[in-house]
Amino acid sequence: MDNWRKNPRVFWILSAPPALWLLGFFLLPLALIWAYSFGHKEGIIGIAISWTPDNYLRALDPLYLQIFLKSFWFAGMTTAVCLIVALPVSLAITFAPARWKALLLVLVILPFWTNLLIRTYALIAVLRTRGFLNAGLESVWDSVDGVARAVGLDGLGAFTPPQLLYNNFAVVFGLVYVHLPFMVLPLYAALDRMDRSHLEASLDLGAGQFRTFFSITVPLAMPGILSGVVITFIPALGSFLTPDLLGGTESQMIANVIERQFKSANDWPFGSALSFILMYITFFALALRAFFSRGRSAMDT
Amino acid sequence: MNSMKKTQSPANRGRRAFLAALSGAGVAAAGLRFSPALAAEEKKLNFYNWDTYIGETTLDDFKAASGIEVKMDLFADNDELFAKLREGNPGYDLIVPTNDYVERMIKTGMLQPLDHALIPNRRNLDPNFRDAQFDPGRKYSMPYMWGTIGIGYRKSKVRGTPDSWKWLYDSDRYAGRIALLGDSSTIFQMAFKYLGHSLNTANPAHFAEAERMVIKQKPHIKAFADDNGQDLLAAGDVDLTMEWNGDILQVMEEDDDIAYTVPREGGLLWQDCLCIPTGAPRPLNAHRFIDYILDAEAGKLIAEFIYYATPNKAARDLASAEYSRNSNIFPPDSVVANSETALYLGEDVQRMYDEGWTRINAA
Amino acid sequence: MRAPPQHRLRRLRRRPPPGPLDYGRHLWMRLTMLATFVFLYAPIITLVAFSFNDSRRNVVWRGFTVKYYLKAWHNDGLIEAFTNSLTIAVISTAVSTVIGAMVALQLWRFRFPFKGAYEGGMALPIVIPEICMGVAMLAFFSRTYWPTDLIWPFNLSAIIIAHISFSFPFVAVVVRARLASFNREFEEAAKDLGASEWRVLRDVLLPHMAPGLVAGALLAFTLSLDDFVITFFTSGPDTVTFPVKIYSMVRFSVTPEVNAASAVLIAITLALTATAMFLQNRAGQKMR
Repeated sequence: MDNWRKNPRVFWILSAPPALWLLGFFLLPLALIWAYSFGHKEGIIGIAISWTPDNYLRALDPLYLQIFLKSFWFAGMTTAVCLIVALPVSLAITFAPARWKALLLVLVILPFWTNLLIRTYALIAVLRTRGFLNAGLESVWDSVDGVARAVGLDGLGAFTPPQLLYNNFAVVFGLVYVHLPFMVLPLYAALDRMDRSHLEASLDLGAGQFRTFFSITVPLAMPGILSGVVITFIPALGSFLTPDLLGGTESQMIANVIERQFKSANDWPFGSALSFILMYITFFALALRAFFSRGRSAMDT
Repeated sequence: MNSMKKTQSPANRGRRAFLAALSGAGVAAAGLRFSPALAAEEKKLNFYNWDTYIGETTLDDFKAASGIEVKMDLFADNDELFAKLREGNPGYDLIVPTNDYVERMIKTGMLQPLDHALIPNRRNLDPNFRDAQFDPGRKYSMPYMWGTIGIGYRKSKVRGTPDSWKWLYDSDRYAGRIALLGDSSTIFQMAFKYLGHSLNTANPAHFAEAERMVIKQKPHIKAFADDNGQDLLAAGDVDLTMEWNGDILQVMEEDDDIAYTVPREGGLLWQDCLCIPTGAPRPLNAHRFIDYILDAEAGKLIAEFIYYATPNKAARDLASAEYSRNSNIFPPDSVVANSETALYLGEDVQRMYDEGWTRINAA
Repeated sequence: MRAPPQHRLRRLRRRPPPGPLDYGRHLWMRLTMLATFVFLYAPIITLVAFSFNDSRRNVVWRGFTVKYYLKAWHNDGLIEAFTNSLTIAVISTAVSTVIGAMVALQLWRFRFPFKGAYEGGMALPIVIPEICMGVAMLAFFSRTYWPTDLIWPFNLSAIIIAHISFSFPFVAVVVRARLASFNREFEEAAKDLGASEWRVLRDVLLPHMAPGLVAGALLAFTLSLDDFVITFFTSGPDTVTFPVKIYSMVRFSVTPEVNAASAVLIAITLALTATAMFLQNRAGQKMR
């Protein structure tokens, strides 16, 4: 890594446009909301910025802390499942013949160009009590049942469809469905055209596929895995449509509460404070990550 | 169209003047303010409405009659509408908020007064709708459609008529087959009705009581439906759901086994209103369109298509018996007498709804 | 999708059975891929199937019809929203890919004071809850009296700006992960041979970054095309996008018309991709 003084011209050309954009079109609007988080409501839509900590104190109520914890759990599960699914998929894309690569990549991303809401409703149609998944299961069940009876065994009895919707399982399932490309794409980007000689060497030296995978492929994919975890976990943490539509009576996530503050509860200061708490937490986690990765790269060089 | 010409008759003008005088100086002043702009407004109207909430040909017919092109955008719920207009009007001329939001928007100054002189078809309204508690004198709003919230259910799976909120709120008879509307205020308001309180109570003890009841009932509730309870019912995911009457009516068309009832404790009466938001670029066109909607023939075409109850008596009289005598659309007087209209009770009560709802979900 | 048989045979003859690194040719890998694609596409197939359903809703099958395709086709609002969405997505993807790549390059290459804070700041748009950013943008644009009544496509500026703001950090994260595998010796070698900064970027760095740029651009395009919350707060009566339109239509009940529009969208994307790949393949063969 170069010191920026070594080549200030390149440094400024690279940093000025993004920095100015971020400042003008993100930090400035954000500053407004940040100020709101220290304000209180006046009348129906007035917000007086009085630098009161009340909104933050209100958010420390165990009620909200518990919802924060639950959201972290949902997002964590989602990220883990996404990683488990995305690793083999992105490896397969990476090692696919060149002319298939583009097609596979597009096939992975294509469902996500359909509107989120429509996709979620379609998922509901697949998972509902009398949905297609249960219909499929029922026909399998019935044929097994029929065979069992035919050979003189007791049947399996009547089919009771499992409840796949309106519970926490459905929320994680839906979140994985929505966030999978956020994991596949960075993994693919990190793995593509990686140096195969490492893998070949490992296999030649007698390490099995399994060991090669964990001691060579995974470390090679590490930057991609970290990026993927970050850009999957954080958006998953902020989901509110999925728990709203697929969740049961106890699937509320923090973003649902935040959304309500900006809509039905009409309490922008409190909504802002909750948003910023979420941001402080993730920000802290990212800083921690940066700290540790810097420690490692310093040792490497 | 025909009725537009009719409005020019002297008798009407006299009544118009009378009503304008009644409605106060503010409106008259507003009327003066509009007049100079009469020639200047371009022939366009930005109408912000709910989906499938207008007649099939209404916009085209209005264009033929007035030359004004209506551009209709859709919003999905009142909270969205309110949040979007809070920081200023991005260019809408006419909006359709529900009664309690009309009240809240009036208090915030988000609506501009109507010029009753420009809405002569007001005389077509049923007398019950010419005034409103949430907008005394109808200074800011004209009624568009009204209805109830009750219970939609699957006849073959339910014993008799579920004519009490008990079956949703306080019983395990239909455990796992119930959906409630996932809306913080509605869920409390219907619980208040069941508990024998006013739907507009602001008493914290009543809130606590309702909250305890819903939390106790939670294991038996399958989902808090996000305005799609009718789909859950039609798909067989649940057998009873709290819903708006119009939503249930739509699925009843395709499924004979579904029915709708307003429990004997009474339900919620709602009223969607036509209002002009402050800062509307073309208020005159908006008045003209409001007047057109309140016309008997145009109103009939809208009502027969969207199947909600119209407050437009002339339109109802013109409509087919299948519509105008449908007790699911026009509930019997006894139901109306038991039911209440939600009022805007202030921001503190709004917060009680929200915090209670958060606790119910987290429990 | 499948290669013609004789072609396959030729390939089989030329190449030995799957080597240990031909992951794509292992049975377990293929099964994983298959399962993933079933998972991804089952809802999509359902959605397409229901676009032919002769019912006002998507719940129960009531017979075959194509009337909803005609209805979607004649729905001017839907088509206008669709055009707006594509325009916004294309512009915001182009800009955010460039800005995102710049951030990635800068963070990867340079050491500078307060780098950690700068990095964190760049990650903020990923971290912020959508609704909070939507409200921030609403407040910002209404407070700056941002012009909303310009002619198309300039009236989309507020939405495009908001979209770029939330997409470029995603691009940066993905591209940076890619850059981590770059061997800086190549860069130094090129410089030793007298290449300028610009030539090094163009001929050495960019080719290496390519998969990251593609992945990042795909991500940015997806984010922009599908964003509802932030767009809702930045759109006005003349700037409705596809998700905003769909959202308000779908809240009450999903009509087959919405499905039909989505099915057409899927068909168009597939056709475009197939054409692009066909052209690319042909160009590749000619070169050979």
